[in-house]
Amino acid sequence: MMMTKTIDSYRFLDGLTARVLRNWAAREPKRQIPWTPFSKPLSECTVALISSAAIALKSDAPFDLEIERRNPWISDPSYRILPRTATEADVNIYHLHIDHKFAEQDLDCIFPLRRLAELETSGEIGHVAPHHYSYMGYTCDAGRLLEQSLPGIIQGLQEDAVDAVLLIPV
Amino acid sequence: MQREIEAAGMATISLANIPELTASVGVPRLAGIEYPFGRTVGMPGDAQGQMAVVRLALQALVEIEHPGGVRGLPFEWPESPKEANAPLEELPPIFQYLRKHITKVRNFMNRDIPEEFRVS
Repeated sequence: MMMTKTIDSYRFLDGLTARVLRNWAAREPKRQIPWTPFSKPLSECTVALISSAAIALKSDAPFDLEIERRNPWISDPSYRILPRTATEADVNIYHLHIDHKFAEQDLDCIFPLRRLAELETSGEIGHVAPHHYSYMGYTCDAGRLLEQSLPGIIQGLQEDAVDAVLLIPV
Repeated sequence: MQREIEAAGMATISLANIPELTASVGVPRLAGIEYPFGRTVGMPGDAQGQMAVVRLALQALVEIEHPGGVRGLPFEWPESPKEANAPLEELPPIFQYLRKHITKVRNFMNRDIPEEFRVS
């Protein structure tokens, strides 16, 4: 069983951002937690990644940043599909609240597709899903994001028979 | 988003660097990591470090047995917060806006979109 470390959520954040996020956390109502038991060995599972960094293939439509620039409370609620072979050379990163330069050098620091491929080769996971997903994580209107993007993402995951999803917010 | 995907029949875990916020929305599984924004999995080029993080996140996925389970991953970022953070080239739109509209800071603290900005 893994030892667990107490994480300081705010270590790398400035005072204002930390206060805002603390407030947001405190305001969330308690909810019933959905649960799908983990039913087969990881070595038989198809695994997919989802990133909130608004990653899109260069060949795909960009995330529309004018939405957030015109109305700073919201953002583009759409999502993009990334093939398992996508690297930093194939994509742009559109999130306006993070420094992109690290992921632009090496996409795996936020979207570890190569690491998953290595785990597939070693047999630690069954398969890397053919398709992965990204959306714009910053918004004060989560409802709109879920409405616009969730059905498509869920359908895609089901079509690829994905068993396990690793979500990586930025 | 994680909750809905779980409800649709897939096991999910978030690898989160603000685990307090992620946990507050009621996610099924959470692996917290004390790494800076934009490098949640590790440093560019550090394949070994990134792999260690991914492996432990997936191990947490396998081991967490109850809804809402949280694991804090044992990794330590090698830089101080000051070294790790450089100011962004463009200040995010919301902070540009709030600088000029201080009365709206309270709205932002409460994640409460002002009437004039609400989208139907």
